[in-house]
Amino acid sequence: MWVLLVCGALLTLADFILAFFYAPLVEGAGVGGSQVIGGVLVGNQLLFSQKIFYFHVPVAISSFLVFFFTAYYGVRFLMTKDKRYDTRSRIATEVTLVFVLLTMFTGDLWTRFEWGVWWVWEPRLTTYFIMTLLVIAYFVLRSAVDDEERRATYAAVFGIIAFIDAPISFAITRLVPNELHPVVLRSGGGLTGVQLAAFLLGLFGMLMFAWVVYQTRLREEVIKERIEVIQEELEN
Amino acid sequence: MAKISSARQFKAILRKDLVMELRTREMLTSMGLYAVLVLVVYEIALSQAGSDFEILRIASGLLWLAIIFTSLLGLNRSLVHEKDQGCLEALLLSPIDRPVIYFAKAIGNLIFLAMVEVIVLPLFYFFFLSGKELGAPLWMLPLPLIVGSIGIAGVGTLLSTMSVNTTGKDFILAVLFIPVMFPLLYACVAATSAVLIGDPGYAVVYWKSLALGAGYDGIMILAAFGLYEFIIGA
Repeated sequence: MWVLLVCGALLTLADFILAFFYAPLVEGAGVGGSQVIGGVLVGNQLLFSQKIFYFHVPVAISSFLVFFFTAYYGVRFLMTKDKRYDTRSRIATEVTLVFVLLTMFTGDLWTRFEWGVWWVWEPRLTTYFIMTLLVIAYFVLRSAVDDEERRATYAAVFGIIAFIDAPISFAITRLVPNELHPVVLRSGGGLTGVQLAAFLLGLFGMLMFAWVVYQTRLREEVIKERIEVIQEELEN
Repeated sequence: MAKISSARQFKAILRKDLVMELRTREMLTSMGLYAVLVLVVYEIALSQAGSDFEILRIASGLLWLAIIFTSLLGLNRSLVHEKDQGCLEALLLSPIDRPVIYFAKAIGNLIFLAMVEVIVLPLFYFFFLSGKELGAPLWMLPLPLIVGSIGIAGVGTLLSTMSVNTTGKDFILAVLFIPVMFPLLYACVAATSAVLIGDPGYAVVYWKSLALGAGYDGIMILAAFGLYEFIIGA
């Protein structure tokens, strides 16, 4: 696990270095002189903000993948009624929440500096915002149920229903073509060599990082449960 | 003892809901009145919009807003009854297949929602759209309403069965229901807008949105149908 953490950190660091010092600016994203976009005067120097891409997109993709595990362990829980799967599902959703919030935050920096507005109701943003709400709703639901087994069942069912939005959000740029969110992973005309390298480094770094966060939280939770069992035994 | 067929079980539950509603008229009065109040609030919200403001552009959004909020109220009610009087336990004790319970409750909710829509739609037209010319033939209007209502009843029945067992029922239902319904609502608003405004090429948007909405209905109702057993048993 520590190996993964170090690898993830190194890869992400390499991503940042590549992104900031080597990756060329995307052509066509340049503004000649000063220009008004969305009612705000945008200057040339703001183009630097496209470096956010190398952090923003890997984090977003990781959030989709981690969210998948919420649904996956939800199904496993419903099939077995084994409490361990509920814990895993919950922790996967916690990690999803962290990544979703990071995505929203970096995305917002992007919209502010690249598009000149704080928020646009554009298909990708809208569906992703809905996903954020679903992840938050998952925890609201959990906190509102007292009975332990019922809470686990409800959370599993809601996790599965909520996950249906993730593929929609992921695929929306392909379904509804939009100028603001390009399809990044495509053959031909996508990223150039160094850009792709930086992007992939960031992606794998983030995935390893997500995995480590998940494992650490899981271990903490398992130890906590063990302590509870021991405490009960001692009291009796 | 002969086993009672699923169709008869289904009818019995549905009949019980309808008879109870006919006796108390609680749900229809509360939902209908609530919908009218929402329309009044619209009037306040739009009162300063000016005379050159084109209401047709946002009319379908307003209509669906009224429907979604009214249905939230109704969905809550439909299971609170069962819960308060211990009917749900009795239903679970009786040898009825769980999917039958789901479909009976969902169809019951659909019927109530349809009844409210039958009242609200003319009222909405009366208050906000009278004298306006619709962009498309009138027969196209009910289709998005049907697709939307099926989804609302199908998913809503599952989510309200969950929320009825939580602390803070109404709030929890809203928090779960609105984000989950988002894609369907979006499709329905698009389809209804296409009919009301009738921009060039509206038919393409209309059928595409309807197909999207119907696809959502299919996926979600299948999921709800499969998952209901776990919810009601927990």
